[in-house]
Amino acid sequence: MTSSPSEAVNGEAEAADAGTDADTETAAPEPHPLQGYADDVATAVGGEGAVVFDTVKVEVDSGDWVSALTTARDEMGLISFSWLSATDWSSEVEVGDPYPEAVEDRIELLATVADISEGRRVTFSTTLTKDSPTISSLVGVYAGANWHEREAHEMFGIDFEGHPNLAHLYLPDSFVGNPLRKSFPLLTREVKPWPGTVDVEAMPGGGDDEETADAPSEENPEA
Amino acid sequence: MVVDRDLVRHLSESSVSVELQTEEMTLNIGPQHPSTHGVLRLVARVDGERAFDVQPVIGYMHRGYEKLSEVRTYPQITTLINRIDWVAGYANEIPFVVAAEKLLGLEVPERAQYIRLILTEMARISSHLIFMASYPLELGAATPLFFALRERERVLDLLEGVTGGRFHPNFNRIGGVKPAYGSGSSTRKVIQDLPAGFLAETREAMDRVLEAVEELELLVADNEIILARTKGIGVLPVDVAASYGVSGPNLRASGVPFDLRKVEDYLPYHLFDFEIPTGENGDCWDRWYVRLLEIRQSVRIIQQAIDGIPSGPLQAKVPKIIKVPKGETYVRAENPKGEMGYYLVSNGNQGPYRLKIRSASFSNISILPWILEGVLVPDIIAIMGSLDFVLGDVDR
Repeated sequence: MTSSPSEAVNGEAEAADAGTDADTETAAPEPHPLQGYADDVATAVGGEGAVVFDTVKVEVDSGDWVSALTTARDEMGLISFSWLSATDWSSEVEVGDPYPEAVEDRIELLATVADISEGRRVTFSTTLTKDSPTISSLVGVYAGANWHEREAHEMFGIDFEGHPNLAHLYLPDSFVGNPLRKSFPLLTREVKPWPGTVDVEAMPGGGDDEETADAPSEENPEA
Repeated sequence: MVVDRDLVRHLSESSVSVELQTEEMTLNIGPQHPSTHGVLRLVARVDGERAFDVQPVIGYMHRGYEKLSEVRTYPQITTLINRIDWVAGYANEIPFVVAAEKLLGLEVPERAQYIRLILTEMARISSHLIFMASYPLELGAATPLFFALRERERVLDLLEGVTGGRFHPNFNRIGGVKPAYGSGSSTRKVIQDLPAGFLAETREAMDRVLEAVEELELLVADNEIILARTKGIGVLPVDVAASYGVSGPNLRASGVPFDLRKVEDYLPYHLFDFEIPTGENGDCWDRWYVRLLEIRQSVRIIQQAIDGIPSGPLQAKVPKIIKVPKGETYVRAENPKGEMGYYLVSNGNQGPYRLKIRSASFSNISILPWILEGVLVPDIIAIMGSLDFVLGDVDR
């Protein structure tokens, strides 16, 4: 669970990479000003903390999900429930490409909670298996988790144990499938080629695209 | 007159139902109803004039933007997200482009940031003016509508002059902003910048907004019927609001001086003086009044920004094909309705791998089952209206 190949650490390394291109300040080896806070939260809830592009992200074991969020609420003052959702890491999709075979068999569940005084916010993350994603519900900790978990249930097929009413939120009751899974095809894209690809392909040489018209500031390092 | 929930329950369930033998019925409100700001359906159990167990049914406006974002490029997505909270379309774009710029490590030119800030505050004013118009109307007062919409039209005209769109500006580009060609009355077509005279016209419009706010306050704040309909109705305590993720003016009306413009750095708000208006009781009245005060603060910010706007480019150097480096980030902004944020996951392609849209109205109306428990049926309209939600912002 925590062994999910430390997503946060990767992200942090890339933060530094991206910084080198554009901004020498962030490339400095000194830690992010929020790193100390990330470590504090991680220690308090028993997870791994990192700062990814100014976002404090704490990874916890899926078994500790409810207890970690309870600690965050009671001890770290993160009383406001911002959102809960998930990322399906099962395939790498390029814009316009057909959906390839699954590569990573996991769903990452995310929940962001915040305080309402200092502006601190923490995104908690945990890993669920793709076949039977099941986790305890947060409704008892944050009342606002109710609708967010219903949304995650219908969109990703995640089961929240102990949720009072895990019915569809947006979709009709008869709807079958979990639309935000990467394996769920967007039918309009299946039957008709993606129209956006045309714009994008015309841009590099053509120069008649709208986006290239505001030219003074343009240069193309990829060309 | 704070509603004592226990008393309400006692009155309605024991004395009323036993002695008067009222019959419980299920009341369906919506999906088409003028007070629902879109298509929202409520199913309530009604006993006499009291409503219990109110369940909102949402999803009529669900357009699947999170899925659609996965098959679009970054520049194409701003077109979609304009339509989330269509009353303040411009403000929706900001956190998204800032998230992409953060992953790209882009520094946005100062002038572009000022323009973004001015237009965001104008979107806030126009959104709050809609509320100033619609809320009294829902309570039966038609006059404020004309005062509010007159000024809103002026603000929207200015927005249109710069961006080309009244509601869906699609004006932000990753790395800056892009004014429309030939916008405004006397624009030179070659140089792309703000339309000639925009800043002076905005300054004048702001003065008139202040006058209108004055008029609205006189019209509404002294109206006994409105006071009776809103004071002490729909009280929202801070701890309940926080645990449901209620944000923005609805949270501040409960007395919390928390504004993301003060604590996040998505636009240079730290350069300007402004206050965070708060309410005292967290009732419908406070939610109306806080928004009125916020219009004044937005005007203050715009006036300062017009005074201090620097010259310079409007666009950072970006490649023609924008590929956002691998990474993920959450950027949130203080939108007119509350906290609006995007959790952007990029895997290095031209479009996001995953885009989670956190919209303010969704969390703000998830409070409905709690706040409508045991209220009088006419108060349902008063309370829902005071939360100022837009269904596009709920369903995404």
